[in-house]
Amino acid sequence: MDSRNTEVLIIGGGVIGAAIAYYTAKSGMEVTVIDKGDIASGTSSRCDGNILAIDKEPGFDSQMSLESQKLVDQLSKELDLDFEYRAPGSILVCESEDEMIAAESWVERQKKAGLSFKMLDRNDIKQESPYFADDLLGGLECETDSTINPYLFTYSLFHGATKYGAKVMLRCEVEGMSRDSVTGLFKVNTPKGEIIAKKVVNAGGIWAPYIGNMLGLDIPIKPRKGHIIVASRDMPVGMRKVMEFGYLMSKFGKERTVDEETDKYGVALVFEPTESQNFLIGSSRQFVGFDTRVDMDVVNCIARRTIRFYPKIADFIIIRTYSGLRPWTPDHLPIVSPVEEIPNYYIAAGHEGDGISLAAITGKLMTELLQDQINTIIPTDPIRYSRFKNVSTIQT
Amino acid sequence: MSKGRIIDHPILGRLDEREEVHFTFDENKLIGYEGETIAAALLANGERVLRCHEETGKLRGIYCNIGHCMECRVNVGNQKSVRACLTVIQEGMEVKSGRKLPTPFKKGETQ
Amino acid sequence: MIDVIIVGAGPAGLSAANVCAKNGLKVKVVDEFMKAGGRLLGQLHEEPDGTWWNGIEEAKKLSEDAQELNVAVECGVSVHNIKQEKSYWKVYTTKGDFKTRALLLATGAAETSLPIPGWTLPGVMSIGAAQVMTNVHRVRVGERGVVIGINILSAAITRELQLAGIEVSSMYLPGKNIVTEDAAKPLSTMKSMLKVASLAPSKLIRLGSYFMKYESLQSLAVRFYPKNGMKVWGMPVHLRKAVLEIVGDKKVEGVKVAQVDVNGEPILSTEKFVPADFVCIAGGLYPLVELAAISGCPFQYIAELGGHVPVHNENMKTPIDGLYVAGNITGIESAKVAMKQGAVAGYSISMDLLKTDVNIEDQLQQAINHVKQTRNQATIQFHPDIHSGREKIHASFKNTLRTDI
Repeated sequence: MDSRNTEVLIIGGGVIGAAIAYYTAKSGMEVTVIDKGDIASGTSSRCDGNILAIDKEPGFDSQMSLESQKLVDQLSKELDLDFEYRAPGSILVCESEDEMIAAESWVERQKKAGLSFKMLDRNDIKQESPYFADDLLGGLECETDSTINPYLFTYSLFHGATKYGAKVMLRCEVEGMSRDSVTGLFKVNTPKGEIIAKKVVNAGGIWAPYIGNMLGLDIPIKPRKGHIIVASRDMPVGMRKVMEFGYLMSKFGKERTVDEETDKYGVALVFEPTESQNFLIGSSRQFVGFDTRVDMDVVNCIARRTIRFYPKIADFIIIRTYSGLRPWTPDHLPIVSPVEEIPNYYIAAGHEGDGISLAAITGKLMTELLQDQINTIIPTDPIRYSRFKNVSTIQT
Repeated sequence: MSKGRIIDHPILGRLDEREEVHFTFDENKLIGYEGETIAAALLANGERVLRCHEETGKLRGIYCNIGHCMECRVNVGNQKSVRACLTVIQEGMEVKSGRKLPTPFKKGETQ
Repeated sequence: MIDVIIVGAGPAGLSAANVCAKNGLKVKVVDEFMKAGGRLLGQLHEEPDGTWWNGIEEAKKLSEDAQELNVAVECGVSVHNIKQEKSYWKVYTTKGDFKTRALLLATGAAETSLPIPGWTLPGVMSIGAAQVMTNVHRVRVGERGVVIGINILSAAITRELQLAGIEVSSMYLPGKNIVTEDAAKPLSTMKSMLKVASLAPSKLIRLGSYFMKYESLQSLAVRFYPKNGMKVWGMPVHLRKAVLEIVGDKKVEGVKVAQVDVNGEPILSTEKFVPADFVCIAGGLYPLVELAAISGCPFQYIAELGGHVPVHNENMKTPIDGLYVAGNITGIESAKVAMKQGAVAGYSISMDLLKTDVNIEDQLQQAINHVKQTRNQATIQFHPDIHSGREKIHASFKNTLRTDI
């Protein structure tokens, strides 16, 4: 069997692994990426494609997104392969007075955190799209939000990384891993031979706990399933990302006033016009293990929710549906961090539904961490692995 | 019979006589044959363009011809987004190509 | 309740339907296309013994048998969901929902695309699209075209276009990019053609046979590959030229071609415009597996079989109760193999549903042997290591069962 050496081994060929590979290779480090499947063959190809601040908790969360937006804007200029980048902003719509009140406080807090948010009234919403239901009261807007094609983005990052010398090995599953207590080197067994690495980054997404477990780590990430409908664009319904305000409630597990099924499947409207002229329509949130079967009951529920906000698109053609698994963490923040108990072992996973949004900032930050930089692009405390240390059992 | 058709074939033989089917494509009167798809009837009439990218207006035609790629969507009567490669042409059918859609919104303009 | 629903009226689906019906089962076959026959419908090639394999005739025979056996074959019907209930499957179609005891997925294959700048222009189509237009609809795809992608499928279909009087001026490699990968490399393309050459019908792949002589000197052969291409049926095949872009305003007007080095990298300043009114993209075939994916069936990536395939055994059973697969959904092979696989699935389903019949077990064994014989005698082989691919998928069936317990 072959044996190869690398300075940095990134486990995971999704968008997170891709962004880390790009920035580390660009900084001059020697990088190898391995994935058990193909490029973007997990969550990164079963999602929609947004770099959003609008749905992030005001403060650290939304700042992190804003930084990521800036990086993606730069990437759109420096990477060779186009990834359908557009920055039209995004909006949240409200269906009740309660939501309008909550939206106002959301906007105030975001503005205080320095983000470009503003309230929209009923008239603004009508201007946004004549296809909205008449009873919608208004909403809010985040001007900097942008949209990309997630797997073109992942491909583009890997293409860029390989130009800086990164090696990508696909269909190369981690079969076992150990750390030499004398040299501190990691030995990783794969079907394509042994890889000896000075540093390892676990960017395994929903499989990160499985990889971590090989060295005795307990990484609190669980798969949270989501469904998406791909619909044909038969009318000019809208040009930018639209979500219902209830999406925030659903995302953060708060109570909503919706029917039982909508609540059970965690369904909330997410509406995204793509460059290829389809609409990606979500969303749902369920803890059902690693089951990725498309559940038509959930799809129907999403369709009903969509028609509640856009009654006139009821006859649109559904082209396909798909589902994927988000890497969920108990506090809805990712883990982008060294692991204190294992020197030179890092985790970059657990982005739940924000992997596309936060890939760029994750890649940049991880590169700084790998180089032991003290001044990092964003503070690292909220996303340290050690924050879960004293949590004995993780509730889902 | 038009020049777009393969009448004689060295192995498959001569094309059988078939009933004509009259239909329109963007109001132009065209003739197809019974049992053939919209895509085939249009191509036989020299029509390669079936729709366009709804935002940029870039033109599109058939690609996979087996119903998989969804590139050949046309409007038939009141029905939107029908796959031309799988739909059989009918007498009197009104087929319309997909058009560029207006983007009349105040905000969210991408240009 | 129907006994068996079969999705796909191609060689595998129809063969399975006929076996099930012979055994007294109530069978329904659905297919999205307006005609039964699946990919048989386009096929036309000369056998080594000089006779012609005419897929349209083969499809007709299967359909006629199905009609005689009272199989309900419904065309123009799309299946958009399948769901396993306690003792049956529910199949959701555009013409209503149906319950069935057994479900056979015989959905065949689709074509891998090779995205090259300009590939969305009207007049660019997959090579399979051109085949269906030419042989099934008898509609000309154009006057003079080029084919991008050099493989056994594109060689066979290019010949069919020529037979129909449509000129193909050249076959080229696709321009190298992150997606086209191996298909853009002269050496790997030649190697894959070489591997199939010994199996191909005598006239089908002259190109490969030519290089058989150079087997030990393949890279040399690529290095000294003639600038004007090797002629196959009078048409130049270019292993050292690639299409960098498809050009046209409202539709295809031609392609931008450049010479490439032995690694497929374009050589600057060799760019040339080649006029064409149609372009066929030939990226090869992969199993069409969406329905198996939503059923929850486990998958295995097996390159020799053309990609991700649902796990199954020699009886064409998946690990999921009442779910069977046959034909190209199980791996890319010729229509003849698909027909034999369909028969296996038919016996397998009959045995499971009728339970007591010992006779069927013998017939099942025979049918399995027929698959092997047909595979060994295949004149068109899409992958030279097909046998090892088959072994891998059958082994993973055994592993799946083990881990389930």
